[in-house]
Amino acid sequence: MSGLAESTEQVMFLDPAIRNWVLFPITVIMVLVGVFRHQLTILMTGEPPKPDIRDIRQAKALIRGQILAQSNSYIPLASFNERKKFLCSAFEEGVYLKNKNAKDQSPVNLMADPKNMEVMMDGMKKQMMGIVPQTLIMGWIQFFFSGFILIKLPFPLGLRFKQMLQSGIMTPNMDVKWVSSLSWYFINLFGLRGVFSLILGGENSADGIRDMTAMGSMGAMGQQSGQPQDYNKLFMAMKDNLSIVYHEWDLANIEQRVFVKYGKQSRVFTSAAK
Amino acid sequence: MSSSLELLAEIRQSSERRPFAVLKLAEPLLNTSGVSRAGDDAWLVYEQVFVSAIDEGQIELAKAVLVILRTRFPSSQRVKRLYGMINEAVGHPDEAKTIYKEMLETDETNVLASKRLIALLKAYGHIGETVKQLVAYLDIHNNDFEAWLELSNLYLTQSLYPQAAFCMEEVILQQPANHYFHLCYAEISYSMGNFDLALKEYLRVVELSTDNVRGFYGIKLVADRIRDVRAKPKRDQNARIDDAPQPATLDRLSQLATERLVAAYNSANDTCKKTAEEWLKA
Repeated sequence: MSGLAESTEQVMFLDPAIRNWVLFPITVIMVLVGVFRHQLTILMTGEPPKPDIRDIRQAKALIRGQILAQSNSYIPLASFNERKKFLCSAFEEGVYLKNKNAKDQSPVNLMADPKNMEVMMDGMKKQMMGIVPQTLIMGWIQFFFSGFILIKLPFPLGLRFKQMLQSGIMTPNMDVKWVSSLSWYFINLFGLRGVFSLILGGENSADGIRDMTAMGSMGAMGQQSGQPQDYNKLFMAMKDNLSIVYHEWDLANIEQRVFVKYGKQSRVFTSAAK
Repeated sequence: MSSSLELLAEIRQSSERRPFAVLKLAEPLLNTSGVSRAGDDAWLVYEQVFVSAIDEGQIELAKAVLVILRTRFPSSQRVKRLYGMINEAVGHPDEAKTIYKEMLETDETNVLASKRLIALLKAYGHIGETVKQLVAYLDIHNNDFEAWLELSNLYLTQSLYPQAAFCMEEVILQQPANHYFHLCYAEISYSMGNFDLALKEYLRVVELSTDNVRGFYGIKLVADRIRDVRAKPKRDQNARIDDAPQPATLDRLSQLATERLVAAYNSANDTCKKTAEEWLKA
């Protein structure tokens, strides 16, 4: 079969029965499972937790500090100083903190907060929904559809892929372009995203790739987003930020800019007298 | 039918207040139950019709729509707010107030209820109470620049210029590129007597929005005023002109303003033009 394969393309004819009974069924099954997963996720997702008013106040106070630091050049120096002084002392004293008593304590134990628990459980449920079907389908394909070539890829791959993509077939010479059904599974995994967004609309939970990235970063992300942000530290950081902001009033040389705009002057003189 | 629905959707998007147009568009829909064709949007249309109906004084229509909404969404806070609004419309402020306070008790973060309560207090002229509520609202939601604008206007009704200026500064911090806010700030500063700041802000207006007539009037007035104050400092104790530019620059600014104003009024009709020229010569 592959004797003359050195310089020319390997040509192999595959049984059409393979196409009918493997190629299409795998795709159809994956689409159906995806849709099923999507609907199930919609059923299982609880309502997002309602934010507490003190949380909102905390978060917005931080945003206020950020806006002040960012847009400080648009208000005169006196106004900026007034706000800077007020916000810095407010952050220092923890006026905006959710519970002032906890200011000096270490961050609250993650498990103790019931609201957080719900959010975490929801996240874990979603991840399970992603992993379980994938594993099942992969196992099913390995079990039923191994030991034969399914398709020929139109692009060449390195030799290392041979082991993964031709997993059931031990032939030293066969081109890596010919691959087994497992690789068809992977192709579908990445490719069906477009089909799903057509059928299920933009935000759908049938996305294989999202699950893979979620799996990969599960360890790191879980810790970080789960922990309630320590607002005291954030406020202190913002306070330091604000105290080093150098205020340069945008309107300092506006007379010149206006003259230039209306053609009375050719350009702005940086150190001209007022 | 569907074009009326589209038009109604457009009006919703632009948040314009056009009660007459909405009612005219919606009336045939309601009579022939064409609203159901909008599917999920039908409830938005009902809400829109409700608000327009109470704007136009058609209380019976509003009540009918409200019943439809209540049957579909029996325990909705959004529908409850509509009950509050209809109470306000027929002149029962106390019932409305109770409703809004109830909503706030069940859910402190309900922005709709807070805003309606403030609007109610303002409509009935309790300015002090309104200001207090608005300040409490802004303590939490300090990134709502429209609320800051509203507070600024309230302070202006009481001629509390420094406070109004503070509110305008908050608005400018959040929307620095909007020339209208700079214009308001400039005019408040001028009224307070901060002529140097007013001049700079008027210049900013004119920079952001070419040939802004109000801006140029402001520049001319302030430049002349600064010159007067410099000539006779004792007369105006409140004036702040420490940062004002040199007289030469002031003259140039005044000249520029006059020039641009003349250019702007060139395309106006004759009486306008004449009046403007008379004023500018003086």
